[in-house]
Amino acid sequence: MIKKKRSFKVKEGAEYGVDSRYSSKKERQADGKALMEDRLQRMKNVSTDQIIRARLLQLKIKMEEYIQAPVYKNHNFFTEFLSSYIDTVYSKRSNFAKDIDITPVRLSQVLNNHREPKEEFMLRLMIHSEKTYENVCQFQKKTWYQVYYHEKICDTMSSQEEWRPNVEKHVNIRKLIKA
Amino acid sequence: MIILNTETGQSHQVKIEAVVSGDFKKITKRRYFFDWKEEKDQELYKLRIVGTSDILGLVSCERIPEEWRVHIRLLTVSHENKGIDKKYENIAGDLITFISKIAVREYAELACVSLKPKGVTAQHYIDKYDMNITGATLSIEIIEILNLIKTYDHD
Repeated sequence: MIKKKRSFKVKEGAEYGVDSRYSSKKERQADGKALMEDRLQRMKNVSTDQIIRARLLQLKIKMEEYIQAPVYKNHNFFTEFLSSYIDTVYSKRSNFAKDIDITPVRLSQVLNNHREPKEEFMLRLMIHSEKTYENVCQFQKKTWYQVYYHEKICDTMSSQEEWRPNVEKHVNIRKLIKA
Repeated sequence: MIILNTETGQSHQVKIEAVVSGDFKKITKRRYFFDWKEEKDQELYKLRIVGTSDILGLVSCERIPEEWRVHIRLLTVSHENKGIDKKYENIAGDLITFISKIAVREYAELACVSLKPKGVTAQHYIDKYDMNITGATLSIEIIEILNLIKTYDHD
C-alpha cells in the first residue's frame, strides 16, 4: 500500500502545487515568531558582500519597475536611484567620482539636481554599473538611460499646464489637413 | 525568465503578471488543482509564455512587512505540467523566483520567502530550492534567494 502511494507521488511530482495557506492569524503569528528566531541566527552568517548584492538587486528591480510603469509625478527618480547605487557600493561618494573620473563637485551637482548629467557621465555610469553587476545579476546596459529619459518624458507630460500656453504661442498650425 | 520544453529542449521566455478578473473563467480546479476563486482578494500572479495567453502556472502570496517576509499561499502548475510527463520545466521555480524578487524589492537583505507544504512535498522544496526548515515552515532568505535568482532569472 505504501509502495503504491510512493510511486504515485513520483509520477505526479511534488511540484504540481502547494497549499500553504494559514488556517488562522494565530497560526501565522506563531509560525512567524519561530521563523524569526531562526532567521535572526542565520542573518549573522550574511556577509557584507551579500548585503551589497541584495541592495544592488533591489535597486535593479526598482529601476526596471519604474521604466515599465508610467509614474507621472514630479520626482527625481534618476538621482534617487543614482544616490542609492553609489551609497550601496561606496562608503564615500567622492570615491565614486574618482572612479569615473569626474570631480566630486560635478557629482554633487548632478545628485542635487543642479546640473544635468553630461553624455560622458552617462556613458561612464553605464560601464561602471555593467562591471558592478557582472557577478550579481543580469543588468541591461541601457537601464540608466531608460530611467533618465523616462523621467524626462514623465516630467514633460505631467507639467503640460505649465509649459503649454507659452510654447503654443510659438507654434503656427496651418490648415494643411482638412477637418 | 524562461521555461524549457521537456521534449525539444527549446526555451521560451515567460511573463509573470497579475491575474485579472477575466482570467477566472479559465482558471478551473480541474486544470489548476485548487479553487483559485478563493484567492480572488489576494495578490495573485499567472505565468504565460510571451506571445501566448495560456496560463501555465499560478501563485498567490501575502506580504508580511513586519517580518520582512512574503508568504506563498498557493502555488500550482497547470495539469499538463505536473509529474514526469510534464510539458515544460521550471514553471514552479520561476514563480518562486518571482516572489523572491518581490521580497528583495521590498526588504533587500532582510528578504524572506516562506511556504508551508503539507506532507511529502516538503522534502522536494527543501532539496530543489535549498530551503531552510523551521518546524513545518520552509523558507529561503537572502543567501538562497540570490542563488535562486542567479539560476532562474535571466532578465
